[in-house]
Amino acid sequence: MMWSWIPSNWSEILSLTRANAFLGIVSPLIGLAISLPLGVVAARWRWFYPPTLVVVNVIYAIPSLALFIILIPAFGLTDTPVVIGLTVFSLCVILPNVVAGLRGVPASVKQSATAMGYGPLRRLLTVELPLATPVIIAGLRVGVVSSISLASVGQIIGVSSLGYLFIDGLQRSFPTEIYVGFFCVIVLALICDLILVGIRRALTPWASGRNRAVRPRPRWVLSSQPAAPGAGARP
Amino acid sequence: MLWDAFAGGAEGRWLITFEGVTKRYPDGTVAVDDLDLDVPDGKTMVLVGPSGCGKTTTLRMINRLVDPTEGRILLNGEDIRAQDPARLRRGIGYVIQQTGLFPHRTVEDNIATVPVLNGWRRAKARARARELLTTVGLDTALAKRYPHQLSGGQQQRVGVARALAADPPVLLMDEPFSAVDPVVRGQLQEQLISLQNELRKTIVLVTHDIEEAIKVGDNVALYHPHGTLAQLGPPERLLGSPADDYVAGFVGFDRGIRRLSFFRTDGLSLSAGPVLPGSATVASALKTGEPWILVVGGEADLTPRGWVSAERLAGLDGEARLADVATDSFGHTFTVGDDSLRAALDAAVLSPAGVAIGVDGEGRVVGIATFDQLRAAVQAAQAAQDALDAKDILNEQGAQLRQRPGAIR
Repeated sequence: MMWSWIPSNWSEILSLTRANAFLGIVSPLIGLAISLPLGVVAARWRWFYPPTLVVVNVIYAIPSLALFIILIPAFGLTDTPVVIGLTVFSLCVILPNVVAGLRGVPASVKQSATAMGYGPLRRLLTVELPLATPVIIAGLRVGVVSSISLASVGQIIGVSSLGYLFIDGLQRSFPTEIYVGFFCVIVLALICDLILVGIRRALTPWASGRNRAVRPRPRWVLSSQPAAPGAGARP
Repeated sequence: MLWDAFAGGAEGRWLITFEGVTKRYPDGTVAVDDLDLDVPDGKTMVLVGPSGCGKTTTLRMINRLVDPTEGRILLNGEDIRAQDPARLRRGIGYVIQQTGLFPHRTVEDNIATVPVLNGWRRAKARARARELLTTVGLDTALAKRYPHQLSGGQQQRVGVARALAADPPVLLMDEPFSAVDPVVRGQLQEQLISLQNELRKTIVLVTHDIEEAIKVGDNVALYHPHGTLAQLGPPERLLGSPADDYVAGFVGFDRGIRRLSFFRTDGLSLSAGPVLPGSATVASALKTGEPWILVVGGEADLTPRGWVSAERLAGLDGEARLADVATDSFGHTFTVGDDSLRAALDAAVLSPAGVAIGVDGEGRVVGIATFDQLRAAVQAAQAAQDALDAKDILNEQGAQLRQRPGAIR
């Protein structure tokens, strides 16, 4: 470990971290934006979900590098293939949580909302989605963390990320660079995860104390998601 | 607003009318079969029956959570299918067993739901919510809590407050008290009765519990297992003149005793009885020759202290005062006029002396009733009620429900 390498390359480490953060955050957000309408449809028309889940799982099985390469002819050696790839992967993680979150809204709550005079759209926006938020954010957390870690693979097709430090360190047989890259990815993922936890707390004040003490549902949903294996499991 | 039209409803008319209503599901199950039912304005109609009898389907057809296959339902004379469902529902309060409270909203915002849907400003709606918390007997300090921080009984009260928030003329209640323990259930039932005495809503309440039906209902519709009515009438008529063996079996073997809840004690003759003040001596008590003496506070204080037997007094010093003698508990008393014959009979059964103590509104002893006196009153009341029921059944064939007071409690 050569500590002096860090200050002398500080600005490059920072810009690589920034690039990695961009890829790792924007992609799951786009994934969320696509998952929400899909999830609403899947929660409402049950027949729609099983085939969607099959497609999503097949896509999730594609190695990330292969997916990036397939997308190069269409989008060139830009950020786009990586963003699209990461979006698709995080979609695979987030969509099941959107569906689980919406299906987890108690039938009695939905029924009484209707009986009090909510229209379908209003009920969705002001009752069902807020109640599904903890589960959706649990999915988003996995999506963000895994995208941050996967973004480094994009370096292989020349898209700037912390992956540069791994490849360069390997080629030069310079472990310090690899350790720094490793550390930055972990810290970045942890910070983003903490921010998401903060957002969840702010959005769902009603759930605090309740998730831990009374209903550990978000954690349960997270750990039993068929399409959400642990982050970073991808080669 | 939609329900402004309901204001000042004339006494004795129907607010909700089912005309030949059938609900058949796609798999062929008939939940409700050709139902005709009139729900009188400002009264509590209880739908009761075994599970799967169609009582809940009947209820849900009123606010269009379920649409009938055949027939029509009129609310205030208008076919409900001609109305926008969301607007129709905002004029109908809805309370369910699982409460259906919104877990993500505070108690006050839960209660304010319908006013906010109707376009009230949030501050005004919340003020209304706090008012309703008091109405249903909850502390306004609970306003900022979330539903999961409340007990089951409190949640159910919030559910009732939420249903009442926009002051709808109609309240639908689906097994509202089934999920709470018996003590809380009793309290909630009492609360519903006193709220209803004040608010005079048209309530349709579904339950599988015949006791609850008899307790809270002005009228009871008892269902057969497959979506038809077995009997419709005031609870005392179901108890006194069950239409058939099915009804008799459903209301239970002690229906005779329960029916006494509907008979007042004004007709009951009372004896002055062996009542002595605490200042009287043991000797004067023995001189009455009565086996049991009721001891009261004093010459001016007529509140009962307890029973004492002549047997026990015989072994005591004749000059001792009754106030210093150990007495047996008198169980409970009944308030003459206000309480039912059932309460009076119960008081007699529980009393060591076998007689019921009648008191006035202030708890002062008015007189005592023996089993013989009670029997005479029960027979007279039953004969009068049977004559009334027979006349009703003949005249109206159960279609017209007379306006009459509910059970006396």
